[in-house]
Amino acid sequence: MGAYMSEKKYTKDHEWVSIENEIATIGISNHAQESLGDIVFIELPSVGNLVKAKDEICVVESVKAASDIYAPIDGEIVEVNNNLENDAAIINQDAENEGWIFKMKISDSNQYSDLMSEDEYKQFLEQ
Amino acid sequence: MNQLPLDIPLKNFHQNNGAKILPFAGFNMPINYKTGIINEHKNVRNHSGIFDVSHMGQILIQNNESYLYKLEKYIPLQLKKLIKNRSHYSFLLNKDGGVIDDLIVSNIDIKDKSYLYVVYNASRKKEDEEIFISCAPNAEKIYNKNCLLAIQGPDSINVLKYIIDIPNNMSFFDILISKYNNNEIIVSRSGYTGEDGFELSIPNECAENLITDLLKNENTMLCGLGSRDSLRLEAGLSLYGHELNENITPIEAGLTWALDKERLEDENLNGNEVLSDQLKNKISNKKIGLISTSKSMLRDGMTLFDNNNNEIGKITSGCFSPNLNKSIAIGYIKSEYNSDSSIFCEIRKKLELVKINNLPFVKKNYKKNGSIYE
Repeated sequence: MGAYMSEKKYTKDHEWVSIENEIATIGISNHAQESLGDIVFIELPSVGNLVKAKDEICVVESVKAASDIYAPIDGEIVEVNNNLENDAAIINQDAENEGWIFKMKISDSNQYSDLMSEDEYKQFLEQ
Repeated sequence: MNQLPLDIPLKNFHQNNGAKILPFAGFNMPINYKTGIINEHKNVRNHSGIFDVSHMGQILIQNNESYLYKLEKYIPLQLKKLIKNRSHYSFLLNKDGGVIDDLIVSNIDIKDKSYLYVVYNASRKKEDEEIFISCAPNAEKIYNKNCLLAIQGPDSINVLKYIIDIPNNMSFFDILISKYNNNEIIVSRSGYTGEDGFELSIPNECAENLITDLLKNENTMLCGLGSRDSLRLEAGLSLYGHELNENITPIEAGLTWALDKERLEDENLNGNEVLSDQLKNKISNKKIGLISTSKSMLRDGMTLFDNNNNEIGKITSGCFSPNLNKSIAIGYIKSEYNSDSSIFCEIRKKLELVKINNLPFVKKNYKKNGSIYE
């Protein structure tokens, strides 16, 4: 089976998820970044943690407020974006690429299929 | 309190200039503009920034002895002796010496009539106006016809002086009537950022023109309530509803300097006995500044502990400090603790060490003044 990069999907908590070879990369959406404003600190999750969808797993702090990040699907945290430790503002600059927050090995790909497509997320934002 | 937020006169102007608008104290207010809170904050510290604070209360009270006597029940100043063209930070006090509101009282003449001009918090309009009207039935609220704009930062004078006549010798907390395009405006050298600056009470219809004129200076920019909050926190300034409320006296809030000591002997002043007693004896809680020792953010409502896990206080305001590049906070702790004590803050169920820091966190940069009374 060759490597493939899936379509990017979104949660109602304004996270994005993309999957490559059973590894999901997760960050917050550009919309979330804009509404949080200047991000000054992120408490990253620990590699090796087993998490369930909807678990609070880390926290993004903007100048104004703290905001929880939830696991979008069940799985194990396998990598975190250590660049954010020194410069959380990367999320403001490029939330949906360089500003990725953590990667997880997912256990149930159906959970991923249930998330919103980019178009569905746009509609969700307009509601 | 479930009413829809009101709009300030220039709401559309702010929206067209990229403001993020959110409800605050009953008004849809600009929180920040496109470049963000940190950038606005730094621009005020290094150059200048323009704030629209038209949500605030503004009232004119005729300078009449009987009105002043009644107001002196609430305001701990000798109102009859206020120097013309000077402003004073003060309070409305309740019967226990608690703070109904904090405000700025000024003595000015408008069209040959002498007034007290009072600027007070949007969130306390109802409570304050009940008192103002009970003391002075013909007091005139002017916030529906006058916007309140502020320009703050070390360059403020250089931006403003080409647009409005400002006397060279105007000091911090001086106030006067000036003109903008033939409209009378109230200009005070004051603000809420710890920087030099001015507040301008200007008829609604010319407020947008004034902002546009100010923005012609390329080093100034529109700033929202987000940076106003981090600026005032760095300057150690109190915010009503956070550091101040009806259960806190000015003495507990570290604002004894703003009380007229003679008035504390006056039975006509609400809470005079409580306040005199607090001055002579120790108070049980005191206001302090705190700095985070990690990257975690200190926030309003977080609980403080000593190294034996005893709860000793709470944070009342916290934010990221762009000048210190870490989180700072103001809070109250039991008076027996000091900067030698190890103090911990509960942040998301973990205890983190925090350091007591004298207020302000960032040195104030005011153009200093003369005496208080004539």
